[in-house]
Amino acid sequence: MGEMIRIPGGVFLQGSPPWLLDWLDGQDQPLPRVWFGDETPQLRADLPAYFIDRYPVTVGEFSEFVSQTGYQTDADRRGFGLVYDSDGWTERAGVRWSAPGGPGTDTDGYRDHPVVHVSWDDASAYARWAGKRLPTETEWEFACRGAGFRIWPWGDEWDSRHANTAELHAGPLSTLTDWRSWWKSVCDRGGPLPQTTSVGQFSGAGDSVFGCADMAGNVYEWTATLSYLYDDAAPCDPTVRMAAGRYRVIRGGSWMNFRYQVRCSERMHGDPNGWSSFAHGFRCARDAELQTRELP
Amino acid sequence: MIKIVIPSVWNQDGRTEFEGTEGPLPEVIKRFAADNPSLSRRLIAPDGSPLMYVNFCVGDEFIPRSQRATTTVVAGSTLTIISPMAGG
Repeated sequence: MGEMIRIPGGVFLQGSPPWLLDWLDGQDQPLPRVWFGDETPQLRADLPAYFIDRYPVTVGEFSEFVSQTGYQTDADRRGFGLVYDSDGWTERAGVRWSAPGGPGTDTDGYRDHPVVHVSWDDASAYARWAGKRLPTETEWEFACRGAGFRIWPWGDEWDSRHANTAELHAGPLSTLTDWRSWWKSVCDRGGPLPQTTSVGQFSGAGDSVFGCADMAGNVYEWTATLSYLYDDAAPCDPTVRMAAGRYRVIRGGSWMNFRYQVRCSERMHGDPNGWSSFAHGFRCARDAELQTRELP
Repeated sequence: MIKIVIPSVWNQDGRTEFEGTEGPLPEVIKRFAADNPSLSRRLIAPDGSPLMYVNFCVGDEFIPRSQRATTTVVAGSTLTIISPMAGG
């Protein structure tokens, strides 16, 4: 279960170089520079070897976990989950990993898609059951781009055919108004269902430098890392600053995003207190030493 | 008066700081949304109550869902409104 890739470890500069923020400023995207400030300044990171899942954890894999353990997710226990309908985010009764759009929806045909509606605790519980753990954000970013900087897992040239983003579904998008128009059309057709794709659908062209799939888009991925700022003095959104020490880092962006939110060095921060949504999933990691000991 | 801080992406002009009126937290949020209709969708549920998945800090204190109804924001405080997913 959960094919893993051995990442050799190494030294790299985690985060975005200054020119990347200048580049974002010059792109046809609506978000202010300060929104990306938490990606800077770059930090020197030194990683030992480790293993990381090639793919995000799938519905089929999570189903096996639930079947064997009787585990109930946070959304199961509280009786509702978060979806984005044509008016915005809303908590909807009955929404859970096995009913991602609520009552009347199921996961038929989705077994090889990433599981969604999993909180940070749910993801951590699965990882423990699988004998793994969540990756740190440093491990995640290194697996995504290796020692050299690149904007997306495959390189610096955007190609909407390499990842599951909103642009795969809607074509080029540059404004939130365009995005909302696309999303309303999706909701009008079938309701607010996750637009995930089968894991590995974009392999090889969309794979990372180490061969990891779906690191750009498909689902947001929880990491083990408690949110922090690379430098307290770096200009940064004030609410991101308040998330430091409270939230957990999320990486990779999702099918909901533009190309700018699925970059290798992009950071998001998620509420770990039971919160999840129809675009949030995860992949697992494991120490390389542990893996070696387990081999015959 | 209190200071209310919101994410920089909630306003087209990137403004993050506003003034508000002290009082019980749910009332502070409702009043702030009423004064700033463009933000209402991000703060208020269809039934008129503050959205529960949005988080709040008063000063440095994170206010859990279970304590919001009984939390009072006193004059001079800073109320920070944090989306469940911040940044990006």
